[in-house]
Amino acid sequence: MPISQLLLGVLALGAAYALIALGFVLILNATGAVNFSQGDLVMAGGFGAVALGQALHWTGLALLPALLVGMAALGVVLAVLTYLPLRRRPPEAVFISTIAFGIILQNLANRLFGAEPLAAPSLLGAGRVRFAGVNASLQSLATIGVAALLIVALHVMFTHTQTGRRLRAMAQDRDVALAMGIPVDRMVVGTFAVAAALAGGAGLLLSNVFFVTPTSGGEYMVKAYIAVVIGGWGSIAGAVAGALLIAAFEVIYPSIPLLVPALLPWSDTAFSQTTSTIMLDAAVLLILMLRPQGLFGERVRQRP
Amino acid sequence: MSAAPKQGIARLLARGGIAAPLALAALLWAVFVLPHASDYVVRVLTVAGTYALLALGFGFVFGQAGALSLAQGTFMGVGAYVSGILAVRWGVPFDAALPASIGLPVLLALIAGVPVLRLQTHYFALATLLIGQVVLLIAVQWESLTGGANGIGGIPGLSLFGWPLHSRLAALLLVWAFVAAGGLLAWHLGRGRLGIAYAVLRGQPVAARAIGIDTGTLRLLAFLLSAGYAGLAGSLYVRAIGVLSPDILGFPVMVTCLTIAVVGSRRRVAGAILGAVLIVELPEWARFLRDDYLLAYGCILLLVIVAIPEGLTETADRWLARLLPPPPRPLPAPAPLPTAHVSPRGETLLEVSGLVRRFGGVRALDGVSLDLHGGEVLGLIGPNGSGKTTLVNVVTGIFPPDAGTVRFAGRDIAGLAPHRIARLCIARTFQTAALAPDLSALDNVAIARDAARLGFWRALRARGTEKAAAEAEAMGLLVRMDAAAHALAPAGTLPPGIARRVEIARALAVRPRVLLLDEPAAGLNEEEQADLARRLRTIAAEGVAIVVIEHNMPFLAPLADRLICLDRGRVIAAGLPDAVTSDPRVIEAYLGTPRAVAS
Repeated sequence: MPISQLLLGVLALGAAYALIALGFVLILNATGAVNFSQGDLVMAGGFGAVALGQALHWTGLALLPALLVGMAALGVVLAVLTYLPLRRRPPEAVFISTIAFGIILQNLANRLFGAEPLAAPSLLGAGRVRFAGVNASLQSLATIGVAALLIVALHVMFTHTQTGRRLRAMAQDRDVALAMGIPVDRMVVGTFAVAAALAGGAGLLLSNVFFVTPTSGGEYMVKAYIAVVIGGWGSIAGAVAGALLIAAFEVIYPSIPLLVPALLPWSDTAFSQTTSTIMLDAAVLLILMLRPQGLFGERVRQRP
Repeated sequence: MSAAPKQGIARLLARGGIAAPLALAALLWAVFVLPHASDYVVRVLTVAGTYALLALGFGFVFGQAGALSLAQGTFMGVGAYVSGILAVRWGVPFDAALPASIGLPVLLALIAGVPVLRLQTHYFALATLLIGQVVLLIAVQWESLTGGANGIGGIPGLSLFGWPLHSRLAALLLVWAFVAAGGLLAWHLGRGRLGIAYAVLRGQPVAARAIGIDTGTLRLLAFLLSAGYAGLAGSLYVRAIGVLSPDILGFPVMVTCLTIAVVGSRRRVAGAILGAVLIVELPEWARFLRDDYLLAYGCILLLVIVAIPEGLTETADRWLARLLPPPPRPLPAPAPLPTAHVSPRGETLLEVSGLVRRFGGVRALDGVSLDLHGGEVLGLIGPNGSGKTTLVNVVTGIFPPDAGTVRFAGRDIAGLAPHRIARLCIARTFQTAALAPDLSALDNVAIARDAARLGFWRALRARGTEKAAAEAEAMGLLVRMDAAAHALAPAGTLPPGIARRVEIARALAVRPRVLLLDEPAAGLNEEEQADLARRLRTIAAEGVAIVVIEHNMPFLAPLADRLICLDRGRVIAAGLPDAVTSDPRVIEAYLGTPRAVAS
């Protein structure tokens, strides 16, 4: 397998993970709380895409705008149920309320769609593209394109709109933002909407190749969480970098025997998907112990 | 005629809270209903008992230490696997397997806990989540030992001293005997000074260390206890159910445990038990929920955390206390605190030299040197951001220095942990009084006296007399700081001026030889300031060396024997108060250069 093909796989997976991690870090910065249902929002987006695809028979790309709007609405529901009533309580309360919300989403999905894996429609179709010796699926190219588009749109919103500036101000210091007359609660609800839309978009992108089940959100949540931890807690660019790193590990680690044929006998044991997950978890635990500030983050020293 | 029993009930409710009627109801149910209960009901209640143990254990780490561990279900699963595998592969009965099925989760918690417990809440939650994921994957993968995804069936049931408990009722009684013992232990550990220390650790983690509480060890203790309870719960569970499956390691078990803890109240023994019975029984009561029990748990968890975040038992107790106010706690008679060590006046206690501390690119301390002698009051002045508080933070070990030495009574203490420095008799207060808000002023002070005497074994042997002595001496200190009238008020409700005096009383409970006060007079009126200055003078007269950070010259100048002025991390002037306050460099540091003022 050529390296370029692997890299394409890394980029496609990493781009989708980046969307999830971005939503996670946006909510983190806006509220100081972990949204534990971020992965279940991805799952909801996957099932949303499945349902829309069955109803309309459109391609994934055509479904995307409607899905983003629907997911943003779900994000508003999430904020109203899990954040607003608890905004004056310690962040751990929101952590727990979003765990509850995620459980509710999972079991609603189980009710509505059953436990069998379902596939969301592909973005453009099932074709393959050959260029420069790389044989790439249309889906992975379109995934990279869509994710890049969403990230750029987010960046433009943050840097070029009044809302974006307010969001950044709020993320830096909530109390000061409130004192400046920024409607903090409305901004937080908006952040949840954006985060849910990003997660839903990722759900559409991922659920074509990897399918979606009611419990597939847990994996995505862990990955977003890891991406934000190794990228530096609260760093937006770090979250994207962390997501790409995780994707690189997941794509490359099981492929090592393909690159180094001498290791082929161990491809089902030492290089299995399960071992890959264990290795990733162990690596993150090590990072947490040795560099709690993340791989890229500078050690933050706070006054007590 | 009925007045006496009515009063008796009211007194019971006021003292024991909601736990008393709950215990009575449980007892009546056990005597009158249980003997006729169906096998099925007995079986479900047995499972509820194992979850009660799980939640009791979770109360240590989540309730007492305030750390959101997501590995509690994992520890239960490890206990279940150890007990089940020992039974099936080597024929080890339940009780003989107990040391291993409790010990292995505790060992896992010890290995994971030492590095992971230092982490802040969100990192700790992730770390425990990942540990759970790794354990689950290993259990599924290691088929030859664990039976893989299918698990192992036919696990022999519970037994005691070689006697298998064939009847379901006997199994139920054994499980609930463990719940009773576990509940008693948790209640005993939580009610004494260990429980108070955990409240300080949760409410004011930095201040807890500054009064000598070894917060790291206490967190680890809570984590180990939680793992031990979970291991016991798991080994009971697997023997009662008879089947070992990787489901026990899955996240739904953790969600169930969290729901029980939140619904019942996270720090209440009665809460863990009530929560477990309610939550485990719920799918049985509402049959239509049986396939969707997790959906129901999610909704309940969300509802409770939003509507009554303290949980059922604590909320019920609050209502009860409003209806039937408990008898006021008697105020202890004040007693003097035996002084630990009287420094001869003038003895050099603290020698700071060349202290450097950087934050990013800023040198908050840039080579600070000073001496401090027994019985003197040293005023530390300087504009905002000049490094005064950082100096106190470095001396008390909150931050290690980047360079330089701090010697206390001849011993280098730079870089020691804050609680070790506090136990050497160096006490401090904070710029904004850092008292544990839920504890009374009295408890806040009393715990500082006992901070070095905390731990599992001590808490196990704790007696009331010890507590009474601590409270009497704490009362003596509150009297000394003229805060005795507020002894029983929750610290969070105290006005700032009182809170400051309580905080100084708490610092005195450390029996300080060096006392560092960060803006003690802020917010006091002139009369109160003069009163505070008099009290500080008498403390100094006993040989205590006092450092006072202040901007308020009318307060400080008559109080201080010497002044030191910091600016941008350096000492720019030192000497007698009059000399320092009239030093042009000091005036410049406070007011800016004449040119800067002009422009």
